[in-house]
Amino acid sequence: MSVHQVGIIGYGTARYDKRPRQTLYGYLAEAARAALASGGVHKNEIDGLSVDAVNFAPDNAVTASEAFGISISWSEISTSGGAGALTNVANAVRAVESGLAKYVLCLAGGAQDVAMFHQRISRFNSAISDYLTPHGFGGMPGIFALVQQKHMLQFGTTREQFGKLAVDFRINAQHNENALLRGPMSLDDYLNAPLIAEPLRLFDCVLPCAGAEAILVGPLDRAAAGKGVRLLAARERHNHVPGEIAPVRGGWEAFRDELYQQAGYAAREMDFVQVYDDFPVMAAMQLEDLGFCPKGEVGHFIDNNRFTFDGTLPVNTGGGQLSCGQAGGSAGLISVVEAVRQLRNEGGGRQVANARRGLVSGFGMISYGRGLASSAAILESHA
Amino acid sequence: MSNATSYPTPALTETNRPLLESWREGRLMLQHCTDCGHTFFFPRPFCPGCWSADLQWREHSGRATVVAFTRIHRHVHESFRAEIPTVLAEIALEAGPSMLARCVPSDELRVGGSVRLVGAADAQRYPLPTFACD
Repeated sequence: MSVHQVGIIGYGTARYDKRPRQTLYGYLAEAARAALASGGVHKNEIDGLSVDAVNFAPDNAVTASEAFGISISWSEISTSGGAGALTNVANAVRAVESGLAKYVLCLAGGAQDVAMFHQRISRFNSAISDYLTPHGFGGMPGIFALVQQKHMLQFGTTREQFGKLAVDFRINAQHNENALLRGPMSLDDYLNAPLIAEPLRLFDCVLPCAGAEAILVGPLDRAAAGKGVRLLAARERHNHVPGEIAPVRGGWEAFRDELYQQAGYAAREMDFVQVYDDFPVMAAMQLEDLGFCPKGEVGHFIDNNRFTFDGTLPVNTGGGQLSCGQAGGSAGLISVVEAVRQLRNEGGGRQVANARRGLVSGFGMISYGRGLASSAAILESHA
Repeated sequence: MSNATSYPTPALTETNRPLLESWREGRLMLQHCTDCGHTFFFPRPFCPGCWSADLQWREHSGRATVVAFTRIHRHVHESFRAEIPTVLAEIALEAGPSMLARCVPSDELRVGGSVRLVGAADAQRYPLPTFACD
């Protein structure tokens, strides 16, 4: 099969909860059922499976095939946290293109609450458990507080500017019934929220929660008219630049030019962007590193744009993680699922007008003072 | 003040033993690569610069400059909660590498300011090298 005859033909979301109402497999299966229904594909047609889920080991994609009662010829488990689910989808497209499988289900999820998340991040990996947890590093906010402070000092970015991103995402979330946080939030609410790790306050920090997302990859001719989505290009980059602590840049800058070149489009030609917004500063850095504005100028860019679904540059049109919650691995796939929803014109009250193509990006694998993993892809509706 | 034993502690391994044992006496030891000259943190069994396993532990003054710092008001581990806000800082050691470390809270703390290791007596309280304003 040649490139572009394979793509995304279905998607699904399991309802998010602040506390798990079912097991991880329960959430994954709920998202999987929705993805199959959306693609019109039967469970027994699935012959490839990828999983990006927290607290899943020692289970993996192969043991998941046992749980789901399917025989598979391709499997993959994410190795790069919040950047991995997007990469799983790209690898699934490549697997189907090369004939290794025909229909691949890409699952991501988590069945956790805040207390379970706190247990997990103290032992996230050996560098954190040995060299950060004993210092009382404050979890992810402690690290991203340093990143944001550096961005503010080096470039003059303000809390008001980071806050505008969070406020616009929240406006988008008001049209997403699956968002756990969708009440109105003003800039004053954001600026005056309880302190977490200076300069970060409560609404800078993503809410760990439970839920799942799913993407179905297969031959595009299986999708109904206007319901297929092509993956034009995808890249990943990890540990960029080796040894940096709390950097104000990420791996996206290393592959950005290749990504746009392969896709055949420039950043300005994207109809929307879905970034990994565990913290507003990371959403802002992705806009810089993926070329929507020059490095260090995201503050002005934020001042001059509106990021609502009907704004000048729609970003995180479902509200992002900052509004929906971070359901473990789901956080890396929610961007792809929301992009596909938009490109199929199924965005409901938050539909971006004439959405033809968009950019999604991932970020994750927090370790010694930064997230190591980054990824991005460009998606386009299959006319 | 909580006592040192209530903080979470790093796993003692053959790789980090000199760091942790010298810190009990308030001293800072870092790994130095005898092949490429790289000094690095956190401890590894080989040099991340050239992958050589010919490493030497060297003592350093612990003098450092603050690159960034945050006062943490919400903790994920309960042993820190009685002391909020605690301080986490990125510091650039005179010896070369940067590290993330706890600093004793102070109004004097600022980006670009100097810090030094807390004294040997205070070192007993903290599981890893901890710093204070000069």
